Amino acid sequence: MVEILNVSNLSTAFQSDYGSKQALKNISFKINEGEVLALVGESGSGKTVTSLSIMGLLPNNAYIQEGNINLIDKKNNQVNILKLTDDKHNLIRGNDISMVFQEPMTCLNPTMTIGDQIVEVILNHKKISKTKAVKEMIDLLGLVEIPDPTQRAREYPHQLSGGMRQRVMISIALACTPKLIIADEPTSALDVTIQAQLLQLLMKLKNSIVSKTSILFITHDLGIVRELADRVIVMYHGEIVEEGQVKEVFDNPKHSYTRNLIQSLPEFKLEERKLTKKDDNKQTKVDDNEIILKIENLFKEFPVEKGFFKESNETVKAVQNISLNVKKNEVLGLVGESGSGKSTLGKSIIKLLQPSRGQIYFNNENISEYSNKQMIKIRQKMQMIFQDPFASLNPRKNILDTLIEPILVHNLMKKNEAINYIKEIINDVGLPIESLRRFPHEFSGGQRQRIGIARALVLKPEFIVADEPVSALDVSIQAQVLNLLEKLKKTYNLTMIFISHDLSVIEFFCDKVAVMYLGHIVEIAPVSKLFNSPKHSYTRALLSAVPKVKGKNKEKILIKGDIPSPINPPSGCVFRTRCPNPGIDCKGGNIEMGLIEVEPGHWVDQCCVNCN
Amino acid sequence: MNFFIKKLLIVIPTLYIAWTVVFVTLNIIPGDPVNLMLGGRPASDEVRENVRKNLGLDKPVFERYTSFLINATKGDLGKSYLTRQPVTTMIKENMMPTIELSIGGLIFGVFFGVFFGIFAGTKPNSMRDTFSMIIALCGISLPSFWIGMMLIYIFGTTLGWVPIVGEGFVSLILPSITVGLFFAGGMARLTRSSLVDVLNQDYIRTARSKGISKYRIVLRHSLRNAMIPPVTLLGIQFGLLITGAVITEEVFARPGLGQLLLQAILAKDIPLVQALVVYMTAVYIFLNLIVDFTYGIIDPRIRLERNRG
Ligand SMILES: Nc1ncnc2c1ncn2[C@@H]1O[C@H](COP(=O)(O)OP(=O)(O)OP(=O)(O)O)[C@@H](O)[C@H]1O
Ligand code: SF4
Ligand SMILES: [Mg+2]
Repeated sequence: MVEILNVSNLSTAFQSDYGSKQALKNISFKINEGEVLALVGESGSGKTVTSLSIMGLLPNNAYIQEGNINLIDKKNNQVNILKLTDDKHNLIRGNDISMVFQEPMTCLNPTMTIGDQIVEVILNHKKISKTKAVKEMIDLLGLVEIPDPTQRAREYPHQLSGGMRQRVMISIALACTPKLIIADEPTSALDVTIQAQLLQLLMKLKNSIVSKTSILFITHDLGIVRELADRVIVMYHGEIVEEGQVKEVFDNPKHSYTRNLIQSLPEFKLEERKLTKKDDNKQTKVDDNEIILKIENLFKEFPVEKGFFKESNETVKAVQNISLNVKKNEVLGLVGESGSGKSTLGKSIIKLLQPSRGQIYFNNENISEYSNKQMIKIRQKMQMIFQDPFASLNPRKNILDTLIEPILVHNLMKKNEAINYIKEIINDVGLPIESLRRFPHEFSGGQRQRIGIARALVLKPEFIVADEPVSALDVSIQAQVLNLLEKLKKTYNLTMIFISHDLSVIEFFCDKVAVMYLGHIVEIAPVSKLFNSPKHSYTRALLSAVPKVKGKNKEKILIKGDIPSPINPPSGCVFRTRCPNPGIDCKGGNIEMGLIEVEPGHWVDQCCVNCN
Repeated sequence: MNFFIKKLLIVIPTLYIAWTVVFVTLNIIPGDPVNLMLGGRPASDEVRENVRKNLGLDKPVFERYTSFLINATKGDLGKSYLTRQPVTTMIKENMMPTIELSIGGLIFGVFFGVFFGIFAGTKPNSMRDTFSMIIALCGISLPSFWIGMMLIYIFGTTLGWVPIVGEGFVSLILPSITVGLFFAGGMARLTRSSLVDVLNQDYIRTARSKGISKYRIVLRHSLRNAMIPPVTLLGIQFGLLITGAVITEEVFARPGLGQLLLQAILAKDIPLVQALVVYMTAVYIFLNLIVDFTYGIIDPRIRLERNRG
């Protein structure tokens, strides 16, 4: 096997006002020709610093303390990258080593057409004429499957969706057929279905035109590693703690961190839970007779914002004709891609947003027309947990003040009573009592989310909407917070709506799942039903798009194209423009959407029932 | 509706308001234009009455206000009290030197502003950054008349490099620097901060990952994105260009609209002041329209917004 890159004893540190901080500690690894090497590790473990060290793109306050990075370049010379001047390094960047970054929205220059941005890298490294470079550019856009390349080449990044932009980034990385492509979380910012498209594209390219190119794939998603990589390196606190063939590492992890990482995946947790659940069936008792929340034909539409003088009668159709029930002690999961309307639905239910039409019954009380004032009393019973715990906490208040405020506002207890009560809660969410005197910025992401949960609990609510409560957290922290929620659900007797785009989290945590697409619920079913026998075409495609660590990879059902605009959604079945196998009736777009019950508790959109 | 038609529709009310403000203030401040016209010479009531009638000053304030409006729509902005010439002719005669001066100041200001901005912004917190920003600060804080006089003293009197008075291109250099320096200071500071910002953007990192040279990164990838705030400043500071011209013309004893305005105010030559103010406001708005237009050229996202509207 030919080795193309060899990193040895690399140490990188950051200089800051408080002294220097070691980001990479003496790491060594190599990449062979044509292989896909995955680099995994939690946030802050040094994955990006590693890639930037190789690229020579470290920020100004970073410096390399020691080590060597040897590259075999295209002319088969060995070069020590760290010894190069910036000008010499420029001959390698984009030519021998190229990079795809995480943030598709901000990674392309907003004032240059995408065509120009691709042509630029070609002309920078190849001695060919402009016309020839333009031709190559159009071919590249075709290769990354951008429809209508000649037209698209003239467009600016903001005219393209996130998935498209990432395709453009890939074509830039491919342009000079490099020896190595570094992809730093290239799909993490994208929806699963788009991610599946891109990963498939990458693999297709890898197996065809750039078969000799190696890929260093940085990710936190072990499922992707399993599907894509040949070898894997695990990083922890700036060190490489494990290295090996993917299968080996997954089946037989040696380092405790790796073991932990794999075991904290919801997929694995789920298995554990299935085992324990058998005995404690009585514990999770969903009360079939008591319906806490009932929603009928709920709509929420936002007027489209236009400029100062402009008016518009267009609306964003965020939530369309949604009806559902949540029973006492039940956890309903809401799943869907970004823009599908999950958060809008959640906020409309507890009336942080006023719904456009439709009825909401909470404990048989119709609250849909309640004013903010009337809602104050109801809100004691309905709370929300947000995705970004930091943004929702007041940075100038210590935790005690944050938590005690709602109690005093609602006049529930006297102050010293309240303090004792809060101590109990803070203990329940697994934080030390001392935390009460501290301020939000003094906590880690996972701890802040615990505070967010504590705040939702202080008023002893019956019902909580949790909007992506663990999405911002690392996998291992995610597992802790999910376990905590699971425990609190029982002790506080909670009924919940749990919003997430992560299907494995939903499967782990919820009793019932509703799948949303473009404002509509297309399928609702008990968890096991939905995951084992999904009925709707979208649900099937969504399930198959998720990279899995365990089990064989089934043939993927790929969804074509991007999510249509919610301003002008397709008529009839909203999924018909991307459906992998639309029925003959669907294509015309004149069937009505609406859920029907196919089995007890399993509701599916009627058109899909008819065509499948 | 088209973005620019909308903008143009705002012009008329703006001009109207500007003119009304001038009319009201000039009628409030004490002093009789007739006295000023007579230059303090004694005159009989009859003579005074005649002058008054001639100038239309015998009519009630309100009538004067409306009749000006009516005449203005016909393109007649009235006659100067002092010279009895149509004010438009007077403005035309004095326009060229001021336009030359403003363009000179603009070119000087933008060139040096952007130059020092890039010089400082491409290497923030370095010696050259500090040096450039001190110069910029001087440009902003030193009064133009003082700078003008120092320039005359150093380059004109002591060194004798450039003529202080006279015509033609060379005599324009020192006044342009005087007008431009203030401009340049603001431009430099804003260009710097905006450039530092842009150079930290993700797409610059992308450009670097393509192996593109430093120069090209600044010139091709950063400048255009960095120019939006400085261009906005330019629009706001056109007003300063005009006031700068007024002061500079005085210091350098150059003819021009600035001198004309100064004399008109001192003489309480109401029609001339009004016409000058309306004229300068119109120019200001027009220049800002051009600035608005360049936004679209600089940033395609803004262009798209407009086309959609
Ligand atoms: N500009 C910087 N200044 C100071 N410290 C930094 C800087 N960038 C990164 N670090 C530190 O370097 C270490 C490694 O960070 P790095 O970005 O490589 O993590 P990562 O594994 O890529 O994480 P993520 O999954 O969040 O992208 C962290 O401790 C981080 O705080
Ligand atoms: S209704 Fe038809 S188009 Fe819509 S998802 Fe089902 S099969 Fe596809
Ligand atoms: Mg990273």
